[in-house]
Amino acid sequence: MSGINDFADIKVEDLNLRYGSNQALQDINIKIPSKSVTALIGPSGCGKSTFLRCINRMNDLIKVCHIEGRVKIDNKNIYDEDVDVVELRKKVGMVFQKPNPFPMSVFDNIAYGPKIHKVPKKDIKGIVDKTLQDSALYGEVSDRLDSSALDLSGGQQQRLCIARTMAVEPEIILFDEPCSALDPISTNKIEDLILELKKDYTIVIVTHNMQQAARISDYTAFSLWENNRVWRNKPDLRKS
Amino acid sequence: MDSRTTEKLAFGFLRACIWIVVAFVAILILYIVIQGYSIMSWEFLTEMPTNRMTEGGIYPALMGTAYLVGISMAVAIPLGVLSAIYLNEYAKESRSTWIIEMAINNLAGTPSVVFGLFGLALFVKYLAFNPSIISASLTLSLLILPVVIRTSKEALITVPQAHREASLALGVTKWKTISSIVLPEALPGIVTGIILSIGRVAGETAPIMFTGAAFFLPRLPDSVFSQFMALPYHLFIMATSGLNPMETRPIQYGTALVLLILVLLINSIAIVIRKHYRKKLHR
Repeated sequence: MSGINDFADIKVEDLNLRYGSNQALQDINIKIPSKSVTALIGPSGCGKSTFLRCINRMNDLIKVCHIEGRVKIDNKNIYDEDVDVVELRKKVGMVFQKPNPFPMSVFDNIAYGPKIHKVPKKDIKGIVDKTLQDSALYGEVSDRLDSSALDLSGGQQQRLCIARTMAVEPEIILFDEPCSALDPISTNKIEDLILELKKDYTIVIVTHNMQQAARISDYTAFSLWENNRVWRNKPDLRKS
Repeated sequence: MDSRTTEKLAFGFLRACIWIVVAFVAILILYIVIQGYSIMSWEFLTEMPTNRMTEGGIYPALMGTAYLVGISMAVAIPLGVLSAIYLNEYAKESRSTWIIEMAINNLAGTPSVVFGLFGLALFVKYLAFNPSIISASLTLSLLILPVVIRTSKEALITVPQAHREASLALGVTKWKTISSIVLPEALPGIVTGIILSIGRVAGETAPIMFTGAAFFLPRLPDSVFSQFMALPYHLFIMATSGLNPMETRPIQYGTALVLLILVLLINSIAIVIRKHYRKKLHR
């Protein structure tokens, strides 16, 4: 256990978050090791997703949200004034609870990020193929890259969203209950994919499913609303 | 009454309502077509009115209306759509944005003659544009601005928040997210608002009669600072204060028919554009 600190790539220190006067996260300290899967589990409404959205500053979008404390990625506090949120989000990708592909073709969904980030046009086809293969979707959609992403099944859409996230080459991927809207078979595929992805990415996943946490995670943090101490952090809950 | 009879009655009533609407539209269009058809010719569209408007064509009025539509849309579309983007995407909820939105909603319900008088005061007198195409076009653009803003904002609201978040989470800036995800998705709705506005610009009489529409001007305007003729005002003049309203009946119906066709034509172009964008969205 002593080794965790040395290769931690996200360090959260004394994090507090309020929505208006409503304290959602209190005094959170957690270290998330790199190239591994860390699961956050706990009852609904305890602030897991809120916490996750602190790591790529998606909470910035909510006007009444106040954050104190530090979230360090590679020892740099991402809430420092000089941090470029846009650059941060490139480095810290996110997959949402409900699959949210853009109303475009499968190809364009993945190409969207690289195109905006000025990847040369000739490289984009390669990126699309590679991310589709890495997200285990290539076999299912290779013949309909030009058809609408909205015609895919829910599970395929979620894997497309994962591919879309990978296409901008993040280092960390945050998963916010990625399987809660999916059937068991699709869930299985996503879980296998996450296990595959941890070779290359640091993964933080929120789930309300203990079995899922046990199946895929290397580390588990358990949160509970208790005496208004929103988080009880037990990063030593190791998978057997 | 048992539930099946109620069901039948309700359905019959709803169907009757829609038939009444369709019947009115059909009668209106048929009547204008039948009355105006006889005078329709290439010359009617391309010649100046002659003999104190009792003979000749409606060319200057047709062109005048085309100018009005072109200029007022060129002003109102960018101004309205960009305002809607600001209000929906950037403005924080506060007392001042609430006041702005209330003002826009009230403006949408303001009678067009009030806009006409305002245009007279601001553009014609204060800014000294005189009665002219530019004064009338700007007045019309003010008239439709609230409509454009409101429909554009409604269209922007329907874009799922999840799409904005997905784009932002990819490290895309807010403006890029708006221009490449939000706006394309909202475009069909925005175009609908524009379609409604075009019909209004082409058909309004009150805002232009104080700001530049001429009683009789058998030549094309030299510049945007000239007075002009316009189809709805031409029709109004001939029907009410022309020298011989009975004699000009066919010309009146012809003018009405041209106005109708013009608006339908512009609308169908807009509908084709809307369809194109919808298709692009894979809906």
